[in-house]
Amino acid sequence: MELRIEGLSKTYSGGVRALRGVSLTIGAGIFGLLGPNGAGKSTLMRILATLQDADAGSAWLDDLDVLRDKDGVRRVLGYLPQEFGLYPKVTAAALLDHLARLKGISAGAERRALVEALLRQTNLWDARNQRLGAFSGGMKQRFGIAQALIGGPKLIIVDEPTAGLDPEERVRFHNLLGEIGEHVIVILSTHIVGDVSDLCRQMAVIHLGQVLTAGDPLQLAAELRGRIWQTSAERAKADEYRERLPVISARMNAGRRLVRVYAEESPGPEFQIIEPEVEDVYFSAVRRRS
Amino acid sequence: MIRAVAIFEIDRRVRAISTYVYFLLFAPLACLIMAATAGGIEGASVSFGGGGKVLANSPFTLANLTIGLSLFGLLVTAAVMGSAVYGDFECRIDPLIFTSRAGKTAYLAGRFLAASAVLILVFSGIGTGLWLGTLMPGLDHVRLGANHWTAYVAPYLSVVIPNVVILGALFFSVAVLSRRILPVYMISVLLLAAYLIAGTITHKIEHKFLAALVDPFGMTAFGYLTEYWTIVEKNTRVPGLEGFLLWNRLLWLALAGLLMGFTWWKFRMEHRAPAQQAARVDRSLLPRAATYPTWLHLTWMQFVETVKNIYFAVIVLAGAGFMVVSARTLGSIYGTPTYPVTYQVLELVGGTFALFILITITFYSGELVWRERDAGVNEIVDSMPLPGWSLWLSKLFALMLVQVLLECVLMVTGMAIQLAKGYSRLEPGLYLKDLFGLQLYDYWLVCALALAVHTLVNHKYLGHLVMVVYYLAYAFMDQFGFEHHLYNYSSHPDHDYSDMNGYGHFLGPVFWYYGYWSALAILLGLAVHLFWVRGLASGWRSRWSFARARFQAPQRKLAVAAGICFAAIGGFIFYNTNVLNPYRTRSQREKLQLRYEREYKAYEKSPGPMITTATLRVDLEPDQRRVRIHGHYDLANKFSEPISEVLLDLPQDWTIHTLRFSPEAHLERSDRALQTQTYRMAQPWPAGASGELEFDIEWQPHGFPNDTAPTDIVANGTFFNSGSLPQFGYDANGELSEDDTRRKYGLAPKPRAADIHDVAARRFTYISHDADWVQFEAVISTAPDQIAVAPGELVRDWSEGGRHLFQYRSRGKILNFFSVLSARYRVLRDRWNDVDLAIYYHPGHEYNLARMMKGVKASLDYCTRNFSPYQNKTVRIVEFPRYDQFAQSFPASIPYSESIGFIARVDPADEEDVDYPFYGTAHEVAHQWWAHQVIGGDVQGATVMSESLAQYTALMVMKQEYGPEHMKRFLKYEMDRYLGGRSSEKKQELPLIRCEGQSYIRYNKASVVFYALQDYVGEEAINRALRGYVQDVAFQEPPYTNALELEARLRAVMPAQYGYLIDDMFDAVTLYENRALSASWRTAANGKYEVKLKVAARKLKASEQGEEREVPLADWIDIGVFGDKEKLLYLQKHKIDRNEQEFTLLVDAIPVTAGIDPWNKLVDRSPDDNTIKVERQQ
Repeated sequence: MELRIEGLSKTYSGGVRALRGVSLTIGAGIFGLLGPNGAGKSTLMRILATLQDADAGSAWLDDLDVLRDKDGVRRVLGYLPQEFGLYPKVTAAALLDHLARLKGISAGAERRALVEALLRQTNLWDARNQRLGAFSGGMKQRFGIAQALIGGPKLIIVDEPTAGLDPEERVRFHNLLGEIGEHVIVILSTHIVGDVSDLCRQMAVIHLGQVLTAGDPLQLAAELRGRIWQTSAERAKADEYRERLPVISARMNAGRRLVRVYAEESPGPEFQIIEPEVEDVYFSAVRRRS
Repeated sequence: MIRAVAIFEIDRRVRAISTYVYFLLFAPLACLIMAATAGGIEGASVSFGGGGKVLANSPFTLANLTIGLSLFGLLVTAAVMGSAVYGDFECRIDPLIFTSRAGKTAYLAGRFLAASAVLILVFSGIGTGLWLGTLMPGLDHVRLGANHWTAYVAPYLSVVIPNVVILGALFFSVAVLSRRILPVYMISVLLLAAYLIAGTITHKIEHKFLAALVDPFGMTAFGYLTEYWTIVEKNTRVPGLEGFLLWNRLLWLALAGLLMGFTWWKFRMEHRAPAQQAARVDRSLLPRAATYPTWLHLTWMQFVETVKNIYFAVIVLAGAGFMVVSARTLGSIYGTPTYPVTYQVLELVGGTFALFILITITFYSGELVWRERDAGVNEIVDSMPLPGWSLWLSKLFALMLVQVLLECVLMVTGMAIQLAKGYSRLEPGLYLKDLFGLQLYDYWLVCALALAVHTLVNHKYLGHLVMVVYYLAYAFMDQFGFEHHLYNYSSHPDHDYSDMNGYGHFLGPVFWYYGYWSALAILLGLAVHLFWVRGLASGWRSRWSFARARFQAPQRKLAVAAGICFAAIGGFIFYNTNVLNPYRTRSQREKLQLRYEREYKAYEKSPGPMITTATLRVDLEPDQRRVRIHGHYDLANKFSEPISEVLLDLPQDWTIHTLRFSPEAHLERSDRALQTQTYRMAQPWPAGASGELEFDIEWQPHGFPNDTAPTDIVANGTFFNSGSLPQFGYDANGELSEDDTRRKYGLAPKPRAADIHDVAARRFTYISHDADWVQFEAVISTAPDQIAVAPGELVRDWSEGGRHLFQYRSRGKILNFFSVLSARYRVLRDRWNDVDLAIYYHPGHEYNLARMMKGVKASLDYCTRNFSPYQNKTVRIVEFPRYDQFAQSFPASIPYSESIGFIARVDPADEEDVDYPFYGTAHEVAHQWWAHQVIGGDVQGATVMSESLAQYTALMVMKQEYGPEHMKRFLKYEMDRYLGGRSSEKKQELPLIRCEGQSYIRYNKASVVFYALQDYVGEEAINRALRGYVQDVAFQEPPYTNALELEARLRAVMPAQYGYLIDDMFDAVTLYENRALSASWRTAANGKYEVKLKVAARKLKASEQGEEREVPLADWIDIGVFGDKEKLLYLQKHKIDRNEQEFTLLVDAIPVTAGIDPWNKLVDRSPDDNTIKVERQQ
């Protein structure tokens, strides 16, 4: 199974070019789509989820034309939007049942079993008769996953699902995604690098509507080996580095400011070479682009 | 899939509280109204189409109530339909739904069906409530018939459910396509405007069909469907989908279908990122204390934000547009408009535009209170260092500023309308006073209430609902027996502006009430302050503790001060309305009438003195609104028994200084509440004896009453009549008259008039029971700059001691019916033969003086030529303020309201305009014969000799002036009013000759009947009959004539073949159903054209309740053929004695239309099908 995206472009009426010829090939498993806010991730997700039309390009899920055969896509789609709401006065079980019906699962017994299974899988079984208005952020997100899993989808799109979750919920959510992501395509859009490094075997960095780099995260990190240098510095010093060196990140770690530089050779004696991480892939791609 | 979508949605709605709130809004309201209509609520007097012999649960009343109440549900329809899809956008679940496999067809259809089903459930509350209402205890069972379920269901099928679909489609589509809820509410405002505009189309009678079609609610069409229904029809006939209503429904359902199709086509199941709104709000919230106070800044920002958006513009434009449209028909009478004088434009503004203003207040008070919370910036704003009062007070001020802006819009629109109509006598000062001095304050009071309601209720839509309940209570409270202004927030006694008298004496009480309500508004403001939600705690417990914490010394002081003002001013008002003036609720008034009948009825049959001369000295002080009358009556005992006791009716609220009989009589009983006195003669007055009454009575205002202050005696434009003088004997008009009310008190129904054959009743004229003909003389003194007018000839006009005095004396004997008028008049004088003519008018009202003068002359001329000489030497038309809308003929003197002719704008170029100043004047002058020479006895049909014959005379005068062509239009109105009038008859419709004073018979039916009669036998024959009649009965002594005597005269001049006309038109209620079935033509020899015409005719006679039975035809009816431009080619009366008949006629030109009774001379409920297009024969 394979999702092939070619030359996808989208310009909004205000003139914002959200996508500029995005091409990607995505196989089974969890695919991480990394990018800063406003990179075009959500636009790409919505187009794949049939909620928006692209201006140009194509997208095929095996031999299914994603851009034209919307009904066909919806049949195999599971979608967890970045922002969504739920009827506050309806219970979790009732809404999930309704959504299952809308997904075309009309046989009552089958649907009831499915709803139960999904609620158990997402650990919401005990809360099934609670009104959705009383759900916490993490529960709501898990409900989102439950509804995305209705009907055994082949393409699951998850748009920034972990934003705002506490660490425990985030771990729980990761485990949930990990369980389902083996045989189907899961596209996980996020700006949290940890999500990708924890979950994904494939990834792409997208920025200003373009794909900057794509591949296996570990492999991409390995490709940077020998070119990422780090030192700790005072603030003034860090600013000075920024003036003169290709700094890819400067962040605080345990109270110290760590400055990382992308360079073929050592930028100075105070720098040490370090083992690149997925984060460096992301930052170096974005910084070099900007 | 549709089912799945619909069922889930219905389920969700059925679990929502709002559905039950809506249902519970309708059911108890409907139940209450039904109980009130069926007489189950003490003090309530509502009918809603029922009442009298029309049953409270008749199919007609049920339909009327169901449809009417469902219109109030417009907002519910908007809310439910709007959120059917918008709800998904609002709670942002749309991406989940749109990526499912529902598909847009199932999604849209399912949601629409679900919302429709929910609405039908909600609206079923009306029928349920009405039904429960009929089961309530304590109802008057005479007013109820058996319950038939069809009568409850029918209005749902014909109007309510189609409206759910039609209006629902509109709201649904707007919400789906705009993905917002505000436009939905705006659409409901526009619909309202459209409905109101549709209502104004009908000022011309020809536009009924159009008006019926244009109204999307079907209400207008329903009105026309049932407009001519009689009592029996209303009680038995279930209004179905037919006629106008059917066309209306088909049209609008088709439009709704198209709209839904368009919506389906345009709708995309795609995601749209929500617009970023917060930024817009933020700007205004940062305090800029440095330059000017923050609250001022906040006020201005919120004001600008409210008015600078498309929705506000839409409301204002809808209101202004409606004003412009309805200004076309300003003051329209007989389809003829008036000049757009400022007070009429202001009334237009105060009436219909007010609705738009109230919508604005309700809506924007909610928006303002919820502004920060809706935008999600409440936590930021609430934590800013602003004083608590500035948060809400700035909103109140912003809302009040919006009203100022609206008043400015009104002023500009009003003046623009006046200028556009070529009327340049602008009165900006009057606009300022009325709009900014009076109306604005009314609205400000509502603003304060609305803000308080929204703050306290703390739920936007519930808040709107509470406001709607307040508006309903405000409007209808008095009909449920709660009549005092003191407990009806923001209400006050009415004020009528008149060109003649300005605001007169009306404003004083209004300002006291403003003070009273202002104090309450301050208390409301304080409540807002205490309970304003700042922060996230919105539960009642925490709000209560906040309120207690906020209630500090300054708040306490303010509360005490405002409370004292409220109580003090309220006490002062109460002193005025309930102590200085009598305050009586409807049921108290009824009980008083009941007591009058119970205790005094015995005097009805006992003989009383009859007035033979009345001599008055009237001293008017217009500035003080004071009048003192010294009167002298010469009395006689004209009966065969002695008079030993006299019942005297005295004018309400007058002071009686002296009252002395001679020979002497002693006051035996004085009944203050009823203003009656009983005197016992020291010595009984024997038959034929004479006596005198001297009286000295005075009236001046004492404070102000709860109702509108009386308008008899005013600064400029005094007009009162002999009702303000002592009268003898029992007055049966003082009894309770409605059958329903009488039954409530265990009284038998009261006949409206004595039987036409009742000779005893004909002892008296229908004008008075305490006099036959009298000699009248009056000296009136008034302010030096005013002219006083009374009936009779002016003997002397002089000044003395700074007063202007006038002496009037009747020429010969007159009816005991006189009036006194006084104002700053200008006088137009003229002469006709040896008669002095004068019009006393208010300077500025010169528009129609020439038409009126022409009417006086034409009528004098016609009457003297055809009936008898004129008994006086003068005719005076005297203008009086528009507090009343009529003209009334007194001997030689005709008071004439400023609103019914003086400002009419008759366009001589417009063939459709009716010259009603001319016609009205001619009618009143004709009364000098028909009433003041010939007066009927007090039995059924008495007014045929006065009103009907005056109407006939005016018609003939108008025909002479404008030609018979012009009469068609006038008669069309008369026919319509007759048919409409008999439909609102509550008791019984008797034939013309037994008319019991109903104006639709004595005026409107009489016009139709007499016009037809003179058309059949010729004007000269009718006049010959009338001439003989006048000769015999003018100025007669009792017993007075009755309509049978008139009828005999008319019958005598009828040719034999038309004898049946008198039977049909005078002695029966006869209706025709005439119809042209087909018509064709072909060329004949000698350049002529042969027309084949097939017509149908039915003749029906209606019973008193409107039950009809068909009677055999043997009638002479017009058959007519018309050519191009309605040119008359053929018009002949043919004998019609079959229900279908065919004619072959030869005409000289190509025929265009042809038919039976083409000019609608006979009473026919569908006059438009009488003619048909003539097709060329193949």
